[in-house]
Amino acid sequence: MIKLLKCEYLKTRRRYIFLTLLAVTAMALVWTLNGRVTEDTRRLGWMIYLYQLPVLDSVIMPLMAMLAASRLWDIEHRGGMLRRLVPVSGRNELYDAKVIYGLSMLIPCLVIDWAGVIVFGFVNGFQGDFPLRLYLTRLLCALLPTVTIFLLQNALSMAFRNQAVPFAVGITGTFVGMFSMFLPRLPWLRRLTVWGGYGALSFVGMYGYTAETRWRDVFFTVDEPDPFAAIFLTLAALAAYSMGKRLFKLKEV
Amino acid sequence: MIFKLFRAEAIKLRRSPLWLMFVFVPLIPAFLGTANYLANIEILKSEWYSLWSQHTLFTDYFFLPIMVSVYCARLMTLEHNSHGWNRLLTVPAGRGLIFVSKLMTAGLMVLLTMVWIGILFVASGYIAGLREPPVRDILIWCAGGFGGGMVLAAVQLLISMALNSFALPVGIGFAGGLSGLVFLARHLGHVWPYSLMGYGMASNAPQKISERGYLPFVLICIGYLVVFTAAGAVLVRRRGEMGS
Repeated sequence: MIKLLKCEYLKTRRRYIFLTLLAVTAMALVWTLNGRVTEDTRRLGWMIYLYQLPVLDSVIMPLMAMLAASRLWDIEHRGGMLRRLVPVSGRNELYDAKVIYGLSMLIPCLVIDWAGVIVFGFVNGFQGDFPLRLYLTRLLCALLPTVTIFLLQNALSMAFRNQAVPFAVGITGTFVGMFSMFLPRLPWLRRLTVWGGYGALSFVGMYGYTAETRWRDVFFTVDEPDPFAAIFLTLAALAAYSMGKRLFKLKEV
Repeated sequence: MIFKLFRAEAIKLRRSPLWLMFVFVPLIPAFLGTANYLANIEILKSEWYSLWSQHTLFTDYFFLPIMVSVYCARLMTLEHNSHGWNRLLTVPAGRGLIFVSKLMTAGLMVLLTMVWIGILFVASGYIAGLREPPVRDILIWCAGGFGGGMVLAAVQLLISMALNSFALPVGIGFAGGLSGLVFLARHLGHVWPYSLMGYGMASNAPQKISERGYLPFVLICIGYLVVFTAAGAVLVRRRGEMGS
């Protein structure tokens, strides 16, 4: 496995996959943290970002997962590389190496995005104690859908030579996931789609914001993340992984 | 010659799954944007204008840049794969025309996307119970989106031609879309290529459409198109000189 991972590294060297993901993360952070810090936002800062992060993650992370998966498999599809690789390394191991390598690029980006907000909070003097437990929960709640979506995109990018297909699925799904957060009357959209997982696992509610009073009367509620969504996403991740592996075994190279 | 090249590009895209994306992706904001509009109808008072914001706010900065990037990446991947450049560069046509034909093809897809978005918008409005659509404004928004989309397509074609990859230019397009939001927030939406599409479609302030006038926007789009097309022609020529 170590050899295969090293192979993946060598194949992707100077292909700038990780750099692209880091650039998207940096741009996402600039967008997230863009805006004036006022006395009110300093007072409520920690909770504001806990509330807003799921929306931002629901756009950024699925698209990054789509990019990482597509780039990893596109290399193989192009030169008919699988024909050479499969005989010398088992299909199972090769598939696992792709999954591990892809996640090893994606998860640091997620952590950087998460840590960037925390650093921003400390630098700007957000008031009150830093809610470490809530932020760690937030990280886990972003990790689960991200891993699930990556496994799904990985299977699609492997199955289709033409990468426009996984991109079409990924973009449509991301759209659904993001919109699902603005449609509380359609809870199934969040709970029963992998892209809706960011919204379903969101556990901070915000109330009292109006155009006139703005942040003055805002208060937050903290619930437990939806256990049904967590179970659904875990099962979906397992299904995507095993389906992808099965398809790879059946794939004619 | 340009029309022959354009026809050749269109033939290459026949039966491509790109059309799936073209048809299905705009359906999502149309359906969910309308649902969101109906759910918040007591706050969203500006009828067609509110509905337009719901339909296009996220589309302009996240999804359309990615869709245009995918269109352009696909157009260039066709040449990157299987020595396509070798064949293309043997065509007796100016190098600039090769880039222009690809830009025209991407432009046609952007135009069709805009028309489809417009049709879905009007249909959604009627379904939501609105009447008398602001036809002139809708045409201007879609034309603005087309102008900004052409600039975006030109940039993305350049990037896709320079990078021998499908995903990487799409990633850059996505980051560009995010940067477009930042530029728009800094009131520089009319000068940054990745903001122009959203700026032209006036998704965040549809009623303020005529405040600044569209002439500077059109001039900026034309300026960018000239610069990027010239750069594209140079890149194609260099590819010919270096061998593909």
